[in-house]
Amino acid sequence: MLQILIQGLLLSGLYALIAMGFTLIFSVGRVLNLAYGTYLLAGGYTYFYFAQQLGLPKFAGVGLAAVVGAAMGLAKFQAIVKPLKGNHVAVEISTLILAVVVQAGIIFRFGDSSKILLPIVPGVGRVADIAIPYSNLIAAIVSWVILIALYVFARSTHIGRAMRAVSMDPKGAALSGVDTDRVNAFTWGISGTLGAVAGVFFASYTQLYPGMWVAPLIIAVAVVIVGGIGSIFGTLIVAHIVGFMEIITSSLIAPELRGVFTMILIIGVLIARPHGLFGREEP
Amino acid sequence: MNLRRYHFALWVLFIAGLFLLPWFVSKGTLRTFIFANYLAIFAISWDVLSGRTGYISFGHPFLIGIGAYTTAILTKHFDVPVEMSIPIAVLATMLGGVIVLVPALRIKGSYFALVTLALMELMYQLVQVIRPDLTGGTRGMSGLPTLTRGAVNGYYLSVTLMVVIALSMWLLMRTRIGTALSAIGMNEEAVSGSGLSIVRLKMFAFLASAFVAGLGGAFYVHYLGSVAPRALFDINMVFTIIVAALIGGVSTIVGPVLGAFFLTFLLEYLRPYLPGAERYLIYGSIALVLYMYQPRGLIHIATGVWDRLRRL
Repeated sequence: MLQILIQGLLLSGLYALIAMGFTLIFSVGRVLNLAYGTYLLAGGYTYFYFAQQLGLPKFAGVGLAAVVGAAMGLAKFQAIVKPLKGNHVAVEISTLILAVVVQAGIIFRFGDSSKILLPIVPGVGRVADIAIPYSNLIAAIVSWVILIALYVFARSTHIGRAMRAVSMDPKGAALSGVDTDRVNAFTWGISGTLGAVAGVFFASYTQLYPGMWVAPLIIAVAVVIVGGIGSIFGTLIVAHIVGFMEIITSSLIAPELRGVFTMILIIGVLIARPHGLFGREEP
Repeated sequence: MNLRRYHFALWVLFIAGLFLLPWFVSKGTLRTFIFANYLAIFAISWDVLSGRTGYISFGHPFLIGIGAYTTAILTKHFDVPVEMSIPIAVLATMLGGVIVLVPALRIKGSYFALVTLALMELMYQLVQVIRPDLTGGTRGMSGLPTLTRGAVNGYYLSVTLMVVIALSMWLLMRTRIGTALSAIGMNEEAVSGSGLSIVRLKMFAFLASAFVAGLGGAFYVHYLGSVAPRALFDINMVFTIIVAALIGGVSTIVGPVLGAFFLTFLLEYLRPYLPGAERYLIYGSIALVLYMYQPRGLIHIATGVWDRLRRL
């Protein structure tokens, strides 16, 4: 019981971090970035290349992964999202194509086989005979810190408020003098950074392989859909629902079924409440 | 119907060319054509559902997989003859089409695309876990009966199937139903305002798409003689189908066929330079650039060039 609680909390923290970057783009830019999983892929492999193959310090590896993620996000916004001018279907399809291209690029550079990422912080702690890898603990703590920072950022800084304004009403925000393109570009950058950092932790939680981007994308989709648009709080709650259900299904029912609940949640909630459980109604 | 004489002339030329092909090309090329034919069938199926109505399906392998697995299980474990199992598989796929239809009645746009993606992933995980003695679990099934022997026979079977499906769907989409389906993609409220039943139209599109997907999936399995979950319910499979339809030219039926041929041969010609999955790097980049440049596909570029030539 305690084991499920601890594992669930650790996993949910990671999922919240993964979903956060996806929610940001969905709330502010109103588009689904199906290439979101490739930030995680790129982040994981950047860390692997610099920290494990070149032997740089681990924190430099995480930092470089964040930089790569931000650059990818900005490039994606400038090259794909901006020219398509808010045509949602076109953005979704081109990001899907892009995701496959990035995956192929990773295979081209690093090969098809999976890599084992050494934990960022080695060692295992114990609470009442339950093993807690420090790496997972750090991931959960980092994700909580980032989530709180993001919440404060969105409430109290100028650009954070601008982001919220754009997410509520892009035209209204533009009329009040907010440069929506700049806010969007900024959001894509942050989303990339969050995705890449989440990728480092996610890859050390599971393993690093070129097809790694699909599972986190689906988790992010589930969290965003069920949590609704523009709700950091909703994201947090639903990340915990998904994380705990995965742990409960895999430890009590069968490990192979761990993803099934997530899919049923997506399908069920979308059919029953198309705007999610915590989201606001679209105009 | 708005049929012109040159439409028929082009179709006759196209079909005659395809049927005379085995005299001119090698067996290896013919095998590539077989894959192109099946991809074309899947792309047509996607086009009927998504290209027309604008309900983008990211989970088309869900439908194809139902057809493929139904006939595979029936022939392998219940000794049902192939002539019986394929029609049953098609019916089962149409039932699957109804499952996809249910969310489409309530949600649209991006949300619908996500539900179909979730359906595909759900199917992928369930197939491996529920009754692995029947489905073959993670490894899938092999040693299924094949319908033809040799490349030439396989080619004729696949090309006949593809041509029949393409021609009938093309004719169907030129009727008033096809026009109504395109109208749904543009403005659903206007269609229902004109007194047409949206539910019935959508049901028609989804069932027609599922019919084609089931037929394609079932014949494809009996061509390969095997089925595996990772090869089928894969995001790369979705990607290939959608890209074929989009690059060719969406909601034209002919476009997806051209797109499927173009992409299959592109992938094949890259093989000597890049043997593995890295090929998708170039393949995907070409698809992305083409899609960004002309979202309406090769067929639109071709007709544009043709118009300009005529005006000279």
